[in-house]
Amino acid sequence: MGVVKLSTAGIRNYSKTSDFLSGNLPLSLGSFDLLETTTLTTSAASVTFSGLGAYSDYKHLQIRAVVRGSFSLNIRLNGDSGSNYAIHSLQGNGSSVSSSSTTSASNAEFIGSAGGSEDANAFGALVVDFLDAYSGSKNTTMRGLGGKSTSNPRIALNSSLWNNTAAISSMELFGGTWVAGSRFSLIGVK
Amino acid sequence: MPTPTYTLIDSVTLASSASSVTFSSIDQTYGDLVLVVDGKAEGKTGLYLQFNGDSGSNYTTVGMQGEASGASSYSQTLAFTNANLMAGAQGLNTVQLMAYSATDKHKTILARANFATEQVRAAAARWASTSAITQVRLFMDSGRNFQIGTTLNLYGITSEVV
Repeated sequence: MGVVKLSTAGIRNYSKTSDFLSGNLPLSLGSFDLLETTTLTTSAASVTFSGLGAYSDYKHLQIRAVVRGSFSLNIRLNGDSGSNYAIHSLQGNGSSVSSSSTTSASNAEFIGSAGGSEDANAFGALVVDFLDAYSGSKNTTMRGLGGKSTSNPRIALNSSLWNNTAAISSMELFGGTWVAGSRFSLIGVK
Repeated sequence: MPTPTYTLIDSVTLASSASSVTFSSIDQTYGDLVLVVDGKAEGKTGLYLQFNGDSGSNYTTVGMQGEASGASSYSQTLAFTNANLMAGAQGLNTVQLMAYSATDKHKTILARANFATEQVRAAAARWASTSAITQVRLFMDSGRNFQIGTTLNLYGITSEVV
């Protein structure tokens, strides 16, 4: 009996399934997918996304945050609290522009959250990208755009480095006490 | 379960010049909106946003810009401004309207603007209202128009996993 090579080349609009059991939901074929969201119903000191190895079919990760309770959104990857992070920022406060850098930091840092004592109902916003998050051979680079137009206004471009080549398996987001209503969404980008 | 998102909600390509463009009856099922404006204006101008027809003094903006003469930061209390557009040069503006459908917080807007012939800019703005954004109007300085061919695309990003 001859061997027939099967190919999807001539098939249009097919979808992969997570296993061979019929009726299972197809795997997402999107290029920009929401993976998880945490919206606080009570205040919290930190939010952690764990088990991120399950999303290793994505190339990049992104955090989209709407937050109040701290000046900055700090991030630790894979539980690493050692002095393995570097931070750079460029920020404007409405009257001047400044830049800063820190090496051997114990966390990544992204400016843009509204402080708890700033204007009522005002939240800061941040979009942070984790580039090549599952490489395994590159130190992890993060970049962020954050800002808040409050009594302590700030617009900031930030970058951080995690000096470790490990694939990201968890991220802890902290900085102060996030108030109820703060939202953290994790996005996967292929 | 991963939920595909970054969905195109509306798209406008101007067939004639226009003093403003309005997106109305915006779908409320998303968490964030992303607005991408790629265009030119009939003369140098800022780009402004107005929500739900609110022309009151309820907007504040902080921004920073870099250009040949150096870097600076600015604030505004009148309305949100993003980046200059001008005749003969394409300006690209990407605007994130975060938590636009929330009714428990003021609306924060992040913007990045690239106007390669003159400046690069980033800005954060706040609309001091807890109302959900249902309408976005974009306009320019008085007497300025969006030029023909300007494109404005509105995307939705969900914040709830399905």
